[in-house]
Amino acid sequence: MAAARNIIFLLFIGGLLSWVACDEVPLGEYIFRYPAHFGNRIQVPANNPTTKQGVYLGRRLFYESRLSANNTISCGSCHMQEKAFTDGRKLSIGVDGLPTDRNAMSIANLLWTRKFFWDGRSGSLEDQAVFPMTNPHEMGQSLVASAAKLQATEDYPPLFKIVFGEEKVTGPRIAMALAQFERSLISSNSRYDNYLQHSDTLTTAERNGMVLFNTAPDPGRGLRGANCAHCHGGPKNYLELFHNNGLDLVSKDPGRASLTGLDTDRGRFKVPTLRNIALTAPYMHDGRFDSLEEVVEHYSEHIEQSDALSSFLQNESNVKGAHSLRLSVQEKKELIAFLHTFTDTSFINNPEFSNPFLTTRKLK
Amino acid sequence: MKKLLLLALIWCVQMGSPSALLHAQTGNEPLVKISGEVGAALSLGIKDLKAFKQIEVRRKDRDGKDHLYSGVSLSLLLSNSGVTLGKDLRGENLTKFMLAEASDGYQVIFALAELDPEFTDRQVILAHQVDGQPLPAADGPFRIIVEGEKKPARCIKQVTSLRIEFAK
Ligand code: HEC
Ligand code: HEC
Repeated sequence: MAAARNIIFLLFIGGLLSWVACDEVPLGEYIFRYPAHFGNRIQVPANNPTTKQGVYLGRRLFYESRLSANNTISCGSCHMQEKAFTDGRKLSIGVDGLPTDRNAMSIANLLWTRKFFWDGRSGSLEDQAVFPMTNPHEMGQSLVASAAKLQATEDYPPLFKIVFGEEKVTGPRIAMALAQFERSLISSNSRYDNYLQHSDTLTTAERNGMVLFNTAPDPGRGLRGANCAHCHGGPKNYLELFHNNGLDLVSKDPGRASLTGLDTDRGRFKVPTLRNIALTAPYMHDGRFDSLEEVVEHYSEHIEQSDALSSFLQNESNVKGAHSLRLSVQEKKELIAFLHTFTDTSFINNPEFSNPFLTTRKLK
Repeated sequence: MKKLLLLALIWCVQMGSPSALLHAQTGNEPLVKISGEVGAALSLGIKDLKAFKQIEVRRKDRDGKDHLYSGVSLSLLLSNSGVTLGKDLRGENLTKFMLAEASDGYQVIFALAELDPEFTDRQVILAHQVDGQPLPAADGPFRIIVEGEKKPARCIKQVTSLRIEFAK
């Protein structure tokens, strides 16, 4: 009797799967794989545990252009895998053809992130996903409209049933599945990762760059450095910090001050990840720098002394009394060579993160 | 279904707050919030802090020179907020810690026993002045100063929150 019921159940699931997509929907708990030195301070809300089926659905939603008002834009339009999930633009263009307020951010290792966006205004990936979906300069469609569109398809309701136990498509469920997929986007196979795990070596220039990256300059003691690690350090190339890195005397964008109302938070932004940094130009919250050369030039020569300037960048220099780092031409080259070791080519080529609709049929 | 509605409601509330805040003006008064395992959560401004008994701690800063910091003992601030110090710091309360957070998101912790004068003579204060002057903007207005600690990493600057929690 039980066996018969199981067979009927399997036939039923089998029937669903053949509808849903050509490939099989994997089922079960999703196990995150990452090096031990990344640490286990991972952020998975109790009401949205990560499952293989959830990641499967989330990936399809990430590349689903029906989530936009004119069916042309998906998350993947602004977060392209080959650019470590950025879009190569100064500012992104959404459904209304107008630019977004800020530069698109890389999506990698968000499993460990607690505050999202350049100003950190969002506290979870589930919450974060609602902004691009509904923002008129991004995907420009209400959650209710998105849910209704997917509900009317042949393929999505059965997929939602496999993931959430019900065929009902809702805005929160769309966001939950997207968040599950985003948590799976782990990058841990750069040359620098392999160097830290003693399975690769760095060139002399790269090693010199690493020393500069990790050293605070102290001209009194003859120590040369760039001290990037104070804000960008650690094996993940990311520390969750918010700082003003001296781009402007008066920042046009209030940054974190828009949340706190404090003058000292003006022009203060999330210290972005440097993972895959060679792939994510242009740089900064407004995409003002086209190359890493320009970025390093900024830290070396052009730190603006505003009231909100981070204390870690005040009077940080290799020249006594100067306000910017003042690196030599060779030091700049070595620093940039080191930044290139953060590139993880297996991450941008991982088929599990790619647009599934390019290799399997589009969902009906 | 009820759960879903609740979820949707939480969603709306979360969605509402940041956009409302986006229009907030700058020029707000900086505050330190004391919350978590306390009698009642509260937020203190510079005036409130000055109303407590002031003490001084001398220690070196990054410049390698000694400075005189003034402020309020953290044990006094916390006891005043109903945190289990003194005779109550025993049993499971010894697994409590204080998570200090700065405006840049930097976080450090102190076990409650590290802050209790019945455990240690070392002073840990919430300072608001250095050498008789208000702290510089990039360090203040509130900074934790740990007497005699070799590394300055827990002398956390621009403190915005002190949260008492149980180790799980
Ligand atoms: C029109 C381009 C565009 C689209 C479409 C878009 N994004 Fe973004 N994304 C951005 C921009 C711009 C930012 C930075 C916005 C800010 O900080 O205010 C961003 C930031 C993010 C972040 C924050 C990363 C961090 O480190 O804090 C995440 C996560 C993200 N997007 C995920 C998504 C998801 C999921 C979707 C689809 C639902 C999506 N994005 C669609 C442009 C886009
Ligand atoms: C005080 C903290 C701090 C220090 C020190 C620091 N940075 Fe940054 N960095 C930031 C912040 C904050 C941003 C984002 C600023 C913005 O967009 O307004 C940033 C942005 C960047 C970016 C652009 C990232 C992107 O995705 O757009 C690069 C590259 C970078 N930093 C490299 C460096 C290097 C190299 C050093 C050392 C010379 C360094 N940083 C030192 C805080 C810091």
